[in-house]
Amino acid sequence: MNPISIKGLSVSYERKRVLSNIFLEIKKGAIYGVVGPNGAGKSTLFKSILQLIDISAGVIMVLGEDIEEVRKRIAYVPQKDDVDWNFPALVNDIVLMGRYPHKKVFQWLNKEDQHIADEAMSELDILDLKNRQIGELSGGQQQRVFLARAMAQEAEIFLLDEPFVGVDMTTEEKIIKTLKRLAGTGKTMLVVHHDLSTVEEYFDHVILINQRLIAEGPTAQMFTQENISKTYGAKLNLLNKTTW
Amino acid sequence: MMDLLIDALSSGWAIRAMIASSLVGIMCGVIGCFIVLRNMSLIGDALAHAILPGIFVAFILVGYSTIGFFLGSVVAGLFTAFGITWIQHNVKTKNDAAIGIVFTTMFAIGVMGISYISQGEGVHLDLSDFLFGTTLSISPEDIYITGTVCIFVLASVVVFYRYLFITTFQETIAQTMGISVKMIHYFLMLLLSFAVVSALRSVGVILVVAMLITPASTALLLSNKLKNVLIISAIIGLISANLGLIISIIFNTTPGPAMTVVVTGLYLIAAVFSPKKGLAVRYIRKQRQRLKIEQEDILKQAVKADDGIVLDVSYFTDKLDFSKGQVKTLLQQLSKEGLGQWKNGRFKLTDKGLSAGEVLVRAHRLWETYLVDKVGLNEEQIHDEAEKMEHHMSSEFLDEVDHLLGYPEKDPHGSPIPQKFTRPKLSIIDLHPKSKAKIASKQISDAIESELWELGLLPNQDFILNEIGRDYVEIQCDSEKKEIRTSLARLISVEK
Repeated sequence: MNPISIKGLSVSYERKRVLSNIFLEIKKGAIYGVVGPNGAGKSTLFKSILQLIDISAGVIMVLGEDIEEVRKRIAYVPQKDDVDWNFPALVNDIVLMGRYPHKKVFQWLNKEDQHIADEAMSELDILDLKNRQIGELSGGQQQRVFLARAMAQEAEIFLLDEPFVGVDMTTEEKIIKTLKRLAGTGKTMLVVHHDLSTVEEYFDHVILINQRLIAEGPTAQMFTQENISKTYGAKLNLLNKTTW
Repeated sequence: MMDLLIDALSSGWAIRAMIASSLVGIMCGVIGCFIVLRNMSLIGDALAHAILPGIFVAFILVGYSTIGFFLGSVVAGLFTAFGITWIQHNVKTKNDAAIGIVFTTMFAIGVMGISYISQGEGVHLDLSDFLFGTTLSISPEDIYITGTVCIFVLASVVVFYRYLFITTFQETIAQTMGISVKMIHYFLMLLLSFAVVSALRSVGVILVVAMLITPASTALLLSNKLKNVLIISAIIGLISANLGLIISIIFNTTPGPAMTVVVTGLYLIAAVFSPKKGLAVRYIRKQRQRLKIEQEDILKQAVKADDGIVLDVSYFTDKLDFSKGQVKTLLQQLSKEGLGQWKNGRFKLTDKGLSAGEVLVRAHRLWETYLVDKVGLNEEQIHDEAEKMEHHMSSEFLDEVDHLLGYPEKDPHGSPIPQKFTRPKLSIIDLHPKSKAKIASKQISDAIESELWELGLLPNQDFILNEIGRDYVEIQCDSEKKEIRTSLARLISVEK
């Protein structure tokens, strides 16, 4: 059973087709780079998997079941632009949110939950920022907080939307190192990524997407010049003509 | 006046009013935090206005009944919440306009209805009691209802704290965790209706929004932790409800406006004096920064004078945009801080003052050099920039700039840059080709040491100099050849 299985997924926003007839079988323990130009539907793909939006057609199975049955086993790190940074939330409070899906309504968070949160924070080097308000952190530290929350959720699948935007090099290295370690323990990662130059170094699998699925598979075989051109297509050529 | 107050407070109606107001203050304080954090202040106001028709309808159905009024108002509140959401989702109307349309309509119907029925004979309904609150008509029954509601609201917040927190902070994440964001929204609307309806008698519908948003906004200025914000907000609600009530008894006025004035007063105090976010703290910080910059400007000029001795205040006023009085004050301050001595119109920098001044001159000239060498500005463009930057560069940052520029000795205008790092006594460049030497164990700066480390050169490592080129220097370590940039080789200390 694959962690995520997508058959014939199509999504439209107000009659405009964003994703078209996508078939994908995601393999366990792999780190996937999801690559494609702006507006290619990368975030939409994540939102479809998480059922945050309505899809026009297709069947998506997560861990062999409907997403509603397995929500706590899949963690999402959204783009961090729609966060209210003045919110009275401390780093610790936010990381502990990862424990919420494991609790029933009348259950309190306990020492065990705090311990799990502490471990996630210490792996990402933010344990000493535990009692800081979220807005007092740098962009990189903020991103690590949200990854720590996903780790505290102890999910089997992680969806990360552009985790490296607006973060420093140290954070980028720390995050990728952590993702690789997690993948080594059998967790599956999907990462929306923009920087083509680091794709080969970061991801063992790629998904090249531009409304349609262009290519998918091991990076070594699929991340070829030909596939990249197909994905970015006319846009890249246009860029070349105007700049040179 | 005190007699009047004590007299009033010992009578049943005043004690009931006090209990009711306290409960309302706490409830509104707590629920208000979520309303403010969700940017729903306008909805809070709308809901409060919109409960009036509930009273009217309840009166028609069951006559004068406290329970009837309560239930009628809650239904009207929820009806409004649903109505607003429905319009926002289904009609192409701006969100805040939708809120405005619904609540003004409800309010209008309520006012018309209540005015109409209060004309009836033997009906003790007064519209203004509902609009601005009243202390006189709170019955024991009111207290029971308000008490029950208050316990329910607080217990709900405690039990569903996690859900309220996460849906307020990041709705999407709550959704991906399988939390029904919609259900939490309507549940909060229910709690909000409860709080607003309870406040009907003591605050009145027009001003209840003040008891919702002002304590919460005050608490948000005082704490960064949601749990503390909730507690502080409840306490502020409690205090202002009681103070407002007392004021309204003393001056024989309606309690709602008095409470509102008190709560706004507390808000203003917090806005000015909050230890972290207050205007006072920010003003003081700004003033300190300005003072520091002014002192630094004086220091920098003084260090340029011969031996750091200035005989006349006009030396400073000629160069800086300061008045004589200003300069004198600054010189006094510098003397107090041990950076100089100011006596009989003569100012002399102490050693401490001299080195502090040199740091500034170094910062200024290094930054000018940076702007010319690395940014590509010309000599006319750089002075003002450096004037600003010199006050804001940490010493670590300056050392990095110094290293990046290759430890220059002169700035673009040809003035000497005070040297923090002395140049090597003997560098690789000073050696003759084919001569043997070893890397010195102490280098001029940490940055040089880390560059050596990256090149794989260790302290005390022996090497032979092969040749010195224009761009690169080649050295031989054991069997390995290494190339070093000539500009860097110039800065590497070696021993023979």
